[in-house]
Amino acid sequence: MRRVEAIHPGRGNYFRDLARIHGTPVLLVDSQKIRHQYLALKAALPGVKLYYAIKALPHRQVISVLAGLGAGFEIASSGELELLRQVRINPRSTIHTHPIKRDRDIRQALRFGCTTFVIDNTEELLKFIPYKHRIGLMLRLSFRSDDAVVDLSRKFGCPPEDAPELIRLAARLGIHIKGLSFHVGSQCRTPDMHVHAVNVCNQIIRQTHDLGAAPMSLLDIGGGFPVGYDRQVPSIETFTAPITQTLKQLPLHVTVAAEPGRFLVAPAGTALVSVIGKAWREGRFWYYLDDGIYGLFSGQVFDHARYPLAVFSATGRRYPGVLAGPTCDSIDVIAENVMLPELHIGDIVLGRQMGAYTIASATGFNSLPPAKVVILDGWRPDETRLAPARTMPAKPRPA
Amino acid sequence: MNRFAETLYDSYGQEFRVDELLYEDKTDHQHLVIFHNAAFGRVMALDGVIQTTEKDEFIYHEMLVHVPLIAHGGAGRVLIIGGGDGAALREVAKHRQVDEIVMVEIDSGVIDVCRKYLPGHSAGAFDDPRLELVIEDGLEYVTRTDAKFDVIITDSTDPIGPGESLFGERFYRACHGRLLPGGVLATQNGVCFMQLEEAAATARRFRSIYTDWHFYSAAVPTYVGGIMVFGWASDDPQLRRLTRAEIGRRYLQSGIETRYYTPEIHRAAFALPRYLLEAIGKACNAAC
Ligand SMILES: Cc1ncc(COP(=O)(O)O)c(C=O)c1O
Repeated sequence: MRRVEAIHPGRGNYFRDLARIHGTPVLLVDSQKIRHQYLALKAALPGVKLYYAIKALPHRQVISVLAGLGAGFEIASSGELELLRQVRINPRSTIHTHPIKRDRDIRQALRFGCTTFVIDNTEELLKFIPYKHRIGLMLRLSFRSDDAVVDLSRKFGCPPEDAPELIRLAARLGIHIKGLSFHVGSQCRTPDMHVHAVNVCNQIIRQTHDLGAAPMSLLDIGGGFPVGYDRQVPSIETFTAPITQTLKQLPLHVTVAAEPGRFLVAPAGTALVSVIGKAWREGRFWYYLDDGIYGLFSGQVFDHARYPLAVFSATGRRYPGVLAGPTCDSIDVIAENVMLPELHIGDIVLGRQMGAYTIASATGFNSLPPAKVVILDGWRPDETRLAPARTMPAKPRPA
Repeated sequence: MNRFAETLYDSYGQEFRVDELLYEDKTDHQHLVIFHNAAFGRVMALDGVIQTTEKDEFIYHEMLVHVPLIAHGGAGRVLIIGGGDGAALREVAKHRQVDEIVMVEIDSGVIDVCRKYLPGHSAGAFDDPRLELVIEDGLEYVTRTDAKFDVIITDSTDPIGPGESLFGERFYRACHGRLLPGGVLATQNGVCFMQLEEAAATARRFRSIYTDWHFYSAAVPTYVGGIMVFGWASDDPQLRRLTRAEIGRRYLQSGIETRYYTPEIHRAAFALPRYLLEAIGKACNAAC
């Protein structure tokens, strides 16, 4: 059963103030935490150039913060490209990684100055014939993983055994494949598939080189670096240690890149939503919140995430409850069968680890406006270390 | 001190030291900068691609303009498509026999910015009484107008970008309809070593529309990658078969002063390298 943390209301003033100032629903994004995550991943993957996958949280200030640290940017659409243009990102530090593109997407990216693209099949390769002197292509390989919460090798990627053929075809067409990429999945529980993928890529890069073809000089290891939601994940150094070891086997001329999304922004996001309705139905309290599955909590559907939740309450008593979103759809339920202190209309429910794939996949269903995103520069110091939830013996309310 | 790296190609490119950033505009889905560089003077770049520099623009503009005008010999009406910096206009205006110049530029903002920051490009030519300035899309203008011209010149950006429609079949066909008998179209067609497909595509389109077509070349330092080519299309095959003596006579008679253009270069510019002939589907330079 999902646990909801109860924080002493005395510690909730900070969030109540923010909720009052900005209104709810609101996604608070701590830019200091983003910096911290970036530097942690940089340290855990020495020598690897990081391209932030902006789809995780496509926000101008987030992009600016990361650009300030020297990050590059991974884009998958012309809309994302437009966002980078507005923030004045140097196009030289961008890569376009969507394996399927329309001609006009290619042209828009070229016009922006992004010249690195990804392909994973022949049809896509042929689209680059008119631009072959301008571009550098990465060939994306697929590695299916049962270990990842989100499988990203089913829909895209060329099976490694088909890679040599595609590389030869490209060479015949005069198109240079400058490197390989893979994305084994998002929120990986173990680094095993990354390690395996690096090994396979290493082999292909060496074989191609031995055949006298133009050398491939880039390996992009994608994303997938995990963060803790409802279960513990290894620290980032522990997770990347075997990957880093394997990367050492690559030929010296190969540069390594990664496309982290979740790891950089998920821990920086905290959602505040308010209780706007309350009903007692069939032995449980139903609390209706001002945002749900169609909004900030859309990641519970699309990203399979279960965000740690917290409420502010001093009472020890807990009752079975349901936290539901505001839309008319009955699947719009954030948490069912949870034991909660009794909440009141106007109370705040807080969701942690909500920076990645939350607001990014929010819909406008029921014409509800999207949650506001507020970028903060660090939490107020006395609120950074919120007390862990005290586990209270839960007692159901007698009917 | 900043640097400007051109983003045209993934694995190769030129870089400038930016001694002073003079102008930057990132609105309207495009990124225009003008900066000063010690070697090239003021440099204008659009979307990461060099458009023009004070030091080497004369090569490009003289070849774009004087080759068709002198080959024509008696051009009175000239149409310039694009060329917002005003330098093609400046070169056309040097020809006294021209009595009407129509310039069609899609973006009046570019003209204002160039007049201010690259004043030497237009050198007062925007005030020439023979000029009719039209702010309109080039393709729309040539498809709607009834006017006809002796020479049409397209001074466009790269085909990946705002100049795209000026490389299309519809545009070339409309220009054909706007040429007076004995008229000629000259176009900017890119650096062929790096962008061979661009010349090849134009060749395919010219072939189905014009009786006589070819390309001619010049090396412009900041259009990196070797020679750039200009497209040439006309229904009068004689225009590109003038003798050296005839070109020299017309050049002297015109009284224009040039720094790159000479009658010898005019003739020689039509001699294309073998790889380019193959790409445009021609067996030789001379007769075909
Ligand atoms: C191509 C590509 N790169 C990077 C990412 C980011 O992955 P993560 O958030 O797991 O780091 C994704 C996520 O979907 C992706 O599709």
